Amino acid sequence: MKRVPLQWILAAGLFILALAAPVLLKDQQYWLFIATQAYFWAMLASSWALLAGYAGQFSFGHIAFMAIASYASGILGRDLGWSPVSGVVAGTLVAGVVGLVIGYLCLRLRRTYLALFTIAFAEIFRLVVNAEIDLTGGPLGLYMDYLLDTTSYIPYYYLMLGLLLASLAFMYWLASSRFGLFFRSIREDEVAAAAMGVHIVRYKILAFVVTSMIAGLAGAVDHHFIGFIAPSELIIGRMSLVIAMAVIGGIESLIGAALGAIFIHFSLEWLQQIPVPASMMPKLIAMQPMLEKIGLGVGERGIMTYAWRMVAFGLLLMLTLRFWRNGLIHPIIDRLFRQRVRKETVAKRVQAAEVASPTTFGGTEGR
Amino acid sequence: MIELDVRDVYKSFGGIQALNGVTFSIRGNELIGLIGPNGAGKTTLTNVLDGVYKPTSGEVWLNGERVDGLPPYQIARRGIGRTFQVTRAFRRMTVLENLLVPAMALHPTARKRDFHERAMEVLEFLTIEHLANEYARSLSGGQQKLLELGRLLMLDPDIIILDEPFAGVHPKLMETIYEYIIEVNKQGKAFIIISHDMDSIFTLSRRLLVLNYGEIIADGEPAKVKEDPAVIEAYLGEEEEEGPVVIPAGRLAEGMEEAING
Repeated sequence: MKRVPLQWILAAGLFILALAAPVLLKDQQYWLFIATQAYFWAMLASSWALLAGYAGQFSFGHIAFMAIASYASGILGRDLGWSPVSGVVAGTLVAGVVGLVIGYLCLRLRRTYLALFTIAFAEIFRLVVNAEIDLTGGPLGLYMDYLLDTTSYIPYYYLMLGLLLASLAFMYWLASSRFGLFFRSIREDEVAAAAMGVHIVRYKILAFVVTSMIAGLAGAVDHHFIGFIAPSELIIGRMSLVIAMAVIGGIESLIGAALGAIFIHFSLEWLQQIPVPASMMPKLIAMQPMLEKIGLGVGERGIMTYAWRMVAFGLLLMLTLRFWRNGLIHPIIDRLFRQRVRKETVAKRVQAAEVASPTTFGGTEGR
Repeated sequence: MIELDVRDVYKSFGGIQALNGVTFSIRGNELIGLIGPNGAGKTTLTNVLDGVYKPTSGEVWLNGERVDGLPPYQIARRGIGRTFQVTRAFRRMTVLENLLVPAMALHPTARKRDFHERAMEVLEFLTIEHLANEYARSLSGGQQKLLELGRLLMLDPDIIILDEPFAGVHPKLMETIYEYIIEVNKQGKAFIIISHDMDSIFTLSRRLLVLNYGEIIADGEPAKVKEDPAVIEAYLGEEEEEGPVVIPAGRLAEGMEEAING
């Protein structure tokens, strides 16, 4: 009998868990909401991983593209009466068009300069949204129609899960096709890629357009679910969160970045209030003044962490960058799914070394 | 037949005149050595030929089509391929993927697996087939040079420009590169080889172009070029004017002697 490999059991388990979550979380609608948001972040982080990890375009504009689609859809709905569905489609297209323009403007910018340029773009966009009160609602935000005619979280949950899986499948296909090959060659060396016949302008812009549209789609759908968007969502810290998710998951792995986002989003929610056993609560309450001095607090069920949870992830990000450049989740996936390939390669290397060693330095006579 | 015509090409950077009216032609599978002191304009000429630079004036014609000013990827697809003085492998891609990039760029409707076999043949020819699934960054410097040569075979250009193919290369690898040049040349490709390794240049090339101060000061059979007073002046004169040089002037004469006598 052939044994089903462990990695596929794990993958199938995760998938079934995701499908069954609404049943498992029947009495915990809050966590179902968090899961839906986690998928939204997973779409952002994985599409950013495609742009930055594969194509090497380290952009800080990803949140802005997400918001461009959301605002476009919201404004079309409010002023022109467009339905949320057509708004989502239009918003996604608008994000793609802006992605094309930004991609074009960034053609000659590399690394640091690209990062600075996209930070400037994102900040200008946020300031404009803040200032154009008539159009965007300004700092008070913009109310958006609900996408689905329901008060239940369950349809949204499946919708977001479906969009995440579909976008991952699409990006996976893209990354493993010729496009991925060209993206990575551009990331590695634009000059050499061009000398090998790669139309770098086309593929760089394509990377921006595709990833902007996925971010836009995620944003528009998510904000038609929440029913509201405000410029406070566009602050640079939120972009940093996307980057942290992708880096901790694995910047060169779409699945790794998606899982990283889900893991971090859940952790951040959970860390808001670290539960303690009920018997410990009185002690905790007694410690409250001291805890408040160091920026912590006491909630109903445990320790409130406030900003400290962000600090924790900031540290995790720094440690990941310093010690685990491939991320924390990607190496696990890689280990589970590529082990066979690696063994083969190692065997070949050993064989090659054995063949090569007696002759490598033998062929020098006559020179 | 392969036809390349470089007509009166000038290239200046600000006040510096890097190319000063360069004219030459290639007909068929010539094997050309391009030499000249440091700063003579060899790499600039390469960059003009492959589209990295647009010439300030002058024209480049390839197989009846004007190509100067076209972007590098267009020129690569039309038939000029090159390696770089400092190797530019796609380091965080496998050796096989490195080879697939030009193949896929050239054949927009093909699938990657259509070229696996060809890629493995190329790697076998270059004696690095056992490294197919390794990341390019884990290869030695010499092996990365071979990888660049392999990418060129996948691009399949008419004219191959090799910028310092022998610099820092182990003698055994050098032989592989020699074989590559001779074999691929036999198959009908033209070569322009830029090198400071006079032994190799004189052994391999059938025609020598000497560049100095952005001008071609000699063009012809290696044996004749060797005796050209202008060439000797360019190499011998440099040491006095500019102090330390990378190739000792004596090396040229030595290389010529060896190449011609032995």
